[in-house]
Amino acid sequence: MISIKELSFSWPKQKAILKINALEIKTGESIFLQGPSGSGKSTLLSLLAGINQPSSGTIEILNTNLSELSAGKRDKFRSEHIGYIFQMFNLLPYLSVIENVTLACEFSKKRKVKALQKSKTVIEEAKRLLNHLEIPEQLFCQNILNLSIGQQQRVASARALIGSPELLIADEPTSALDQASREAFIKLLFKECKSAGTTLLFVSHDETLKPLFERYVCLKTLNEANS
Amino acid sequence: MNMFTLAKKSLLNRKSTVLLTLLTIAVSVMLLLGVERIRTQAKASFANTISGTDLIVGARTGSINLLLYSVFRIGHATHNVSWQSYENIKKHSTVKWAIPLSLGDSHKGFPVLGTTPDYFKHYKFAKKQPLAFAQGHAFKKQFDIVLGASIAKKLGYKLNDEVVVSHGAGNTSFHHHDEHPFTVVGILKPTGTPLDKTLHLPLIAIDKMHDSGAHAQVHEHEHDHEHHNHDIDLIGEPKQITAFLLGLKSRIGVLTLQRSINTDEKLTNNEALLAIIPGLTLRQLWEMLSMVEQVLLVISGFVVVSGLLGMLTSLLTSLNQRRRELAILRSLGARPWQIGMLLVSESVLLTATGCIIGIGLLYAVQLTTATQLQETSGLQLSFTWLTQHEMLLIAGVLLSGLLVGLIPAWRAYKYSLSDGMSIRV
Repeated sequence: MISIKELSFSWPKQKAILKINALEIKTGESIFLQGPSGSGKSTLLSLLAGINQPSSGTIEILNTNLSELSAGKRDKFRSEHIGYIFQMFNLLPYLSVIENVTLACEFSKKRKVKALQKSKTVIEEAKRLLNHLEIPEQLFCQNILNLSIGQQQRVASARALIGSPELLIADEPTSALDQASREAFIKLLFKECKSAGTTLLFVSHDETLKPLFERYVCLKTLNEANS
Repeated sequence: MNMFTLAKKSLLNRKSTVLLTLLTIAVSVMLLLGVERIRTQAKASFANTISGTDLIVGARTGSINLLLYSVFRIGHATHNVSWQSYENIKKHSTVKWAIPLSLGDSHKGFPVLGTTPDYFKHYKFAKKQPLAFAQGHAFKKQFDIVLGASIAKKLGYKLNDEVVVSHGAGNTSFHHHDEHPFTVVGILKPTGTPLDKTLHLPLIAIDKMHDSGAHAQVHEHEHDHEHHNHDIDLIGEPKQITAFLLGLKSRIGVLTLQRSINTDEKLTNNEALLAIIPGLTLRQLWEMLSMVEQVLLVISGFVVVSGLLGMLTSLLTSLNQRRRELAILRSLGARPWQIGMLLVSESVLLTATGCIIGIGLLYAVQLTTATQLQETSGLQLSFTWLTQHEMLLIAGVLLSGLLVGLIPAWRAYKYSLSDGMSIRV
């Protein structure tokens, strides 16, 4: 699924802030990528999402070398193959729950087609996902500001999962949740990723979540630029 | 959901700033269209003041000055025209009709015009539109008076009311001709010209009021005057008048007669007279005022620019707070140009809505102030749908709105490239 080789990244005229010799992630795996602040988590995620380009080395996702794609093609690749969950406040406040979830299909035809393979309409697929993530039906058409933080994170997950992207990147999605909600959320996320065959890359600095995942990667150790 | 719908929903989420921005644009569009409408309609109203008159003759002065005091009742004549010269020119073979004008008196600040009943027959405005009476008729007796529409409305005069004329023009007069009160016998329909603010009375009454018996021979007896067939002489034989209007048998002779009046000493009895073609002088006058016209347009243009700058400020200041929103859209696969398009869509939506509100405001203001405007300035603004020129102005505003939107769009594009999906605001 993901293959990183001799990756190095630095901002212009600055020393490298990320150096990873090798990292392989298999399809369907759930990875817990842990690292303290400043360990290069955000930099790695922006490289995986194709926002930034490595200074050297390669990143292959689904056998596609991101460095060989133009900026526009990287955007397209991201919208078609990668779902993204932010830390918090990651929904658009002026859209309803359903509109937020279906928004992902507006930027990718491929994900729209995949959503339509599962349900009759994109809206029905959004409702199906929201039901799976235990969002009460009466909230579907409501403004997201009427939802609790936990509910908002589940809506964000539904948006990232609609159209079954091959890779789901979750950037500290549980930091605003309490312990019980955190575990419940992650279990739901696992369930959805499994049923969609999605690889999960879960990024957090919270080590207590480590046992829940199939594999643990410590970025502090992995990133040679820190040493 | 396309970028336009997204832009609309995003704008609705920022109601207070959006409303203020809309108000700024709407007011500036209203001002632009309002100034443009007043400018074009004032120009039309100006040109419409007199028509069907071939020449205006007065004592030698500037042609614009003659037009201003004889038609617009602005300013004063420095000299008068002798009755003898008037009679000579009237008898010219090419002249069809001649109407004497005697100005100088007033009533509560409104100008008084001494003339003949022919005035109501031959004087035309707009596109050769004759004068019409809303009530009553032209004067038939020496102390009859006909009022312009605005005066009757403003001063509340009705038929048979008595009116006292004051000596001299202007709002304040120390001498009132209260020994000769006039009776209102006619009220004219509105014309949208200075006529609406003029009181018309028989020429003979002017001399009688001033008690210049030596200069005029007043005949109260039956008299078959050659000018008209009224029972009572309404002209007398005044020594001098302010100016007179001429209608010719054929327009071909206009230039010849004009030259003759301006140069032929025999015709004018050695009197220095000036004949002007009203249409030509009106055009000269408007050309003189074109500077003001241009300044007005430039000012209203600046008002629109400031409105659009207000929108730019609002979009740019909100942009920093919206970097999270842009990052979310990027994470969903939105290309940087799509993010830019979102901002352009917002500015186009704001400008278009501002224009629609501005047009609505224009009509609302026009509706509420039309009467007052007509009463105070005599300007009659017609309720017409937007002209082609006004639509072009709106299109210009919309295009400017789109261009202004490119600035925050470019900033948003740069933000989305640099921020990517990392939200650090």
